[in-house]
Amino acid sequence: MKKPLFSFLSSLKLTIILLIIIAVASIVGTIIPQQYEGGEAFRHLSPSLVKVFNSLQLFDMYHSIWFIILMVLLSLNLIVCSLNRWKASWKLFSNVPSPDRKKPFENLPPESVIIIENNPNEVISGVENFLKRKYKKLRRKDADNATYFYGQKGAYSNFGVYIIHLSILIIITGAIIGSLLGFEAFVNIPEGESSNIVHLARQKGVKKLDFTVRCDKFNISFYDNGMPKEYRSNLSFLKDNTVILQGPLLVNHPITFNGIRFYQASYGPTPGGKAHISVRRENEQETTMTVKQKDSFFLKEKNTKVHIVKIETNFMSMGPAVLMHIQNPKGTVRVWVFKRIEQMKDRIPDLIKKVPTFNPGLYTPYYFKLNKIEPNYYTGLQLSHDPGVAIVAIGSLFVICGLFITFFSSHKRLWIRVSEQDGKTKISVGAMSNRDPVGLKREVEYLLRHFSSMG
Amino acid sequence: MIINTVILSWVTFIYFGSAIFYIFKMVTGKEFWGSLASIIAFIGLIVQTVGLILRWFESYKMGIGHAPLSNLYESLIFFSWTIVLLYLIIEWRIKSKNLGAFVMPFAFFSIAYASFSPNVNARIQPLIPALQSNWLISHVITCFFGYAALTIACGLGFMYLLKGLEKGEKPRLFFRLLPGREIVDELTYHSVVIGFIFLTLGIITGSVWAYSAWGSYWSWDPKETWSLITWLIYAAMLHSRFVHGWRGKRMAIMSIIGFASVLFTYFGVNYLPGLHSYF
Repeated sequence: MKKPLFSFLSSLKLTIILLIIIAVASIVGTIIPQQYEGGEAFRHLSPSLVKVFNSLQLFDMYHSIWFIILMVLLSLNLIVCSLNRWKASWKLFSNVPSPDRKKPFENLPPESVIIIENNPNEVISGVENFLKRKYKKLRRKDADNATYFYGQKGAYSNFGVYIIHLSILIIITGAIIGSLLGFEAFVNIPEGESSNIVHLARQKGVKKLDFTVRCDKFNISFYDNGMPKEYRSNLSFLKDNTVILQGPLLVNHPITFNGIRFYQASYGPTPGGKAHISVRRENEQETTMTVKQKDSFFLKEKNTKVHIVKIETNFMSMGPAVLMHIQNPKGTVRVWVFKRIEQMKDRIPDLIKKVPTFNPGLYTPYYFKLNKIEPNYYTGLQLSHDPGVAIVAIGSLFVICGLFITFFSSHKRLWIRVSEQDGKTKISVGAMSNRDPVGLKREVEYLLRHFSSMG
Repeated sequence: MIINTVILSWVTFIYFGSAIFYIFKMVTGKEFWGSLASIIAFIGLIVQTVGLILRWFESYKMGIGHAPLSNLYESLIFFSWTIVLLYLIIEWRIKSKNLGAFVMPFAFFSIAYASFSPNVNARIQPLIPALQSNWLISHVITCFFGYAALTIACGLGFMYLLKGLEKGEKPRLFFRLLPGREIVDELTYHSVVIGFIFLTLGIITGSVWAYSAWGSYWSWDPKETWSLITWLIYAAMLHSRFVHGWRGKRMAIMSIIGFASVLFTYFGVNYLPGLHSYF
């Protein structure tokens, strides 16, 4: 008698319903943007709908309770179904059936029976030796004026499907271990700065690392056609202010430190950077210098100081610009120095009249020029610590083995009857296989061809 | 236009011819058309192989050398190549040319879409950082051999259903020429098995690659999710055959449904947000 829970878990209906629900849910999950773009989706939906979606965890569906429950149910279903069938498979594997079974010889097609001229006594040992070579554990039985043999090969193929099921469970176990004991996080580090605080994925707060990561330099290079060629972060990993590991981090080449893998995930400009500017006093030589935000320098008049307040890579979509405060005892003059001031003036001829602070020559008798801005980048790092990866990898390898065993091997079972018929020998071959009827037919043909050559 | 794309666009016409002759063969039953179609398909395959190799060389000459498997154009070309290669192997094994009418059109559509759609860029492009990986080749090859085998299974499914329209004591010649239902069913099963194994390998190589590029072996990216859905459909199909002995019409319908899922995994996902934006 089966317990109701057991029969529920072992029913094929459950499998099909689960597979359909998982498939439909996955389809929904690929349509509703998941967490990384949730904000984008909110704008198109009514607030009440967002509430419903949120309570069903639809914006992070694959990590929601109900999706996990579905996966657990599917695993249980897989386990129970496999256990249910295990007994029969084990029997097929371990039981060696009696060589003189009747059933294999019923309804034999004529091509599975041959007659050879010799007397059975002359050929029987040849047949046996040949079969012994071909099948390990050959069984023989003499009964009813006939000699019976049973041989088999590929019995292990009965286990292929269990290997696959077991390895899927191994993969799921690895995934669960990874999600329980591992973490995913990200951190943006500007060039020259370091951090030991990272943001956990899915808004789970921050995490403090027991070491510090420093971004020494971020570099991006392009192909001739403008497509990105390489993102490279030169990272240093420090403990107690000493560098333990240093190296370039590239896409597809993660760095592992302290069991945590670092990935090059994104990048972007940070405010600031270096500005190359020129200063020219009327009728005098131009001087060029490189300044950073918050730098300041004196002009020729020792009571006049220039403060670099802002360095913008793209100020109000007008390109690179630097905001300076020029301070003398009488007060402060604000000047925005644009790199593309000439083009701007061409486009809007009375620009300087309208916006005097855009005039690079506002503070007479000086004229400022912005030659170039070297932007500062931050590197976007993704971190992951996943102790389940090795388990998942082993599971995947076993899946492949299991697939090959299941589909490319078969359990071939052969019954051979040698009997006398009018002084001649009659050999019948009955065969069964769990799969691959074509291969079985070939096996029988091979045996019969060999036997007939013995005559 | 560069020489390799010219050659590859010729192949479109070659495959078109082959598909038409396979259909002639099916309708008239004359072996001549079948042999002609096979020879043309074989020539097409060789020309296409040459085109692919040239494209590979050209990319090296441009200083951005990589296997021609890196964007939609190249994947479509490769898809048609795998379909024709697998198909010709099957044709040689089963010694029947009836299947061609159901398979060659897929190879033709794939390469025609690559060569003539304004949405598909045929230029050789350098590899963006995410694609600069040794896993690119193994991932794309396993996936597309899987897709090709499943395409052939779908063609067989259509063939089975067409055969099912056969009525009466003396069916028309056209139906009698189609191979027997059991053979078609068996072939469908074998194609699905090959496709399923390659699909599994494709998913595994993909997740190994994702582990070194994206920081996680599985991120529920739409393409990943859809490949899993496809995998589950074919897994269900194989189970229903082994456990419940489903044969024939049901298998044929499932091979077509499965192929629809393959197509969505390949193309449809491009319209969803995700990481697989290059294919």
